[in-house]
Amino acid sequence: MEGQTPPFDFQQTISILKSTGKKARNVRELREGISAASDGAIFHHTYQYFLKGHVLEYTNDFAQWAGESLEESTLSEHLSNIDPYTFKSTGEVRKELLRVIDRYLEQFPEPRSVVPGGEFYFNESVALIFFEGVRARNLAEFLMALKYVDPGCVYFHFYEARSRINPLTDDFSKWFEEGLGREELARKVRAIDPFMHSIEGIREIIGELVEHELRSEMEGGIA
Amino acid sequence: MISRYAGIAPNGDLLLIRRLCEKFRGRRFLHVNSTREGGGVAEILQRMVPLLAAMGIDAKWEVIEGDPFFFEITKKIHNALQGNSEYITEAMWEHYFEVSKRNSETIDLEAEMVLVHDPQPAPLIEFRKGGHWVWRCHIDVSEPQKVIFDFLAFYARKYESAVFSIPRFSKALGIDEFIIPPSIDPMSEKNRELAPQEIGETLDKFGIGRERPILLQVSRFDRFKDPTGVIEAYRMVKRYNDCILILAGSPASDDPEGEQVLAEVREYAKGDPDVHILLLPPFSDRDINALQRAANVILQKSLREGFGLTVSEAMWKGKPVVGGAAGGIPLQIIHGVTGFLVYSVEGAAFRIRQILNDPAMGRAIGAAAREYVRNNFLITRQMRDYLAVWYFLDQGRQNVLRV
Repeated sequence: MEGQTPPFDFQQTISILKSTGKKARNVRELREGISAASDGAIFHHTYQYFLKGHVLEYTNDFAQWAGESLEESTLSEHLSNIDPYTFKSTGEVRKELLRVIDRYLEQFPEPRSVVPGGEFYFNESVALIFFEGVRARNLAEFLMALKYVDPGCVYFHFYEARSRINPLTDDFSKWFEEGLGREELARKVRAIDPFMHSIEGIREIIGELVEHELRSEMEGGIA
Repeated sequence: MISRYAGIAPNGDLLLIRRLCEKFRGRRFLHVNSTREGGGVAEILQRMVPLLAAMGIDAKWEVIEGDPFFFEITKKIHNALQGNSEYITEAMWEHYFEVSKRNSETIDLEAEMVLVHDPQPAPLIEFRKGGHWVWRCHIDVSEPQKVIFDFLAFYARKYESAVFSIPRFSKALGIDEFIIPPSIDPMSEKNRELAPQEIGETLDKFGIGRERPILLQVSRFDRFKDPTGVIEAYRMVKRYNDCILILAGSPASDDPEGEQVLAEVREYAKGDPDVHILLLPPFSDRDINALQRAANVILQKSLREGFGLTVSEAMWKGKPVVGGAAGGIPLQIIHGVTGFLVYSVEGAAFRIRQILNDPAMGRAIGAAAREYVRNNFLITRQMRDYLAVWYFLDQGRQNVLRV
């Protein structure tokens, strides 16, 4: 079956940061900024958070700023709980962010400002998508490739794919299922919580799942 | 030439550079600045322009010429943009423009992409002959003297796009603005791998033993780099961990306060044979490289900073860095992951002790630091970003681009 399937072409995204020149010093200004920001800026600060290559305790830039710079832990926890992939559009993510901030402001109407230099800067990005030059025709080749492609490649197929195809799926599991007919492997990859791992963590987990699948197959063949 | 970076820079960066250079093959990419030597801008252009040319781009680098009065004016503009109070007369602004006009008659400004660096040549935009024009601002303009920034912004807004080093330095100019941090070249004399005997030669030359841990700060003798604070932190550490301190820097010829600060630092360190104050001549890149590689902990305890590329230089050598949370340092140091950010002398001392007492943690931070620099602060990334901005402008300003 694998011989008849289309290969998996690893693509990569590299993003270049664009500044809007807008900033926020406290929660009220953050609210105004989110309200006025372009969809591109909301997308950058939420969906693209994981492209940074490391994960701290948060799931988006707004939560990180609220936690680290403003030291507003409750707000940070609430913002971190927003899963952008459960919303149909960036506009809906924006509404949810505003809803969470408004609820917080009702309880704490006079939030403090950060020290100079700690402001939140609203950015956007330009994404350049290109073929990584690596193609896998079967699961063994996929495993080899996964170990060596750049982190931006894992981001593109695991995270970016959710905003491109379906919030609950990714390019890897889609290929495992539709290309290779490996539903169980696809199910396990879809079960990975995208918010609880760094890109390197995702690479490691998928690599282990694929390796396990291949080993089971080899051992099954020997038996 | 770019293949020398294979296995060092991220594959994706090299691949994207190749793809974009194929698209721009034979097209002219002109850089214009105000000095051929000295300073970070010239240093990176010396290396980047030949790399672009080797990739088939018609890469050119022109330097504007000006009289002493012009450079006196641009020094004032530079200081005012960084927040100092300066007065610039109408005649000065006229001369500033006139020098650009004269340069426009001698420099061939025909190019598909023109990157104009810093305020000195900014009025050249008035003599644009086509192509994409981008203003690259390397300096911190976050708190400028408003009237002077407004005058400069009159020229900046005529560009298609502007580039700043970090978000905090950017301004809402109403044109596309990109954030492109500066970078280091892993192949340069300051950053290349060194053999153990090369490191040993430098230490022997300065009479530095290797028996005890070495703390190092490389910076010019400037109060904003807090050299006396570094000595104070070292003294706090020394109560618990025997170590030596090296403060290495070049004399700052353009800073009249430099001599005075150096004298203060010498006086402050007086009587301690374990504090080595090294006044390095220009072009001491290999010695700086060797000192960084010999050190156990590297400090950049700045109170105010531009981007602070010495931090990336140290991180690239796999060293744990303790840095002041100023300027671009927090962009390079993720606290507790790729180094430590500190806000006081006490904080610096505490983090140094942590690293000296847990060498495995120091090594892990050093390894994460090197990887972070590999992915974010190498010359190939900066080259990639400049080409990407060109591609963005060339493709009608789309935020998602297929290459």
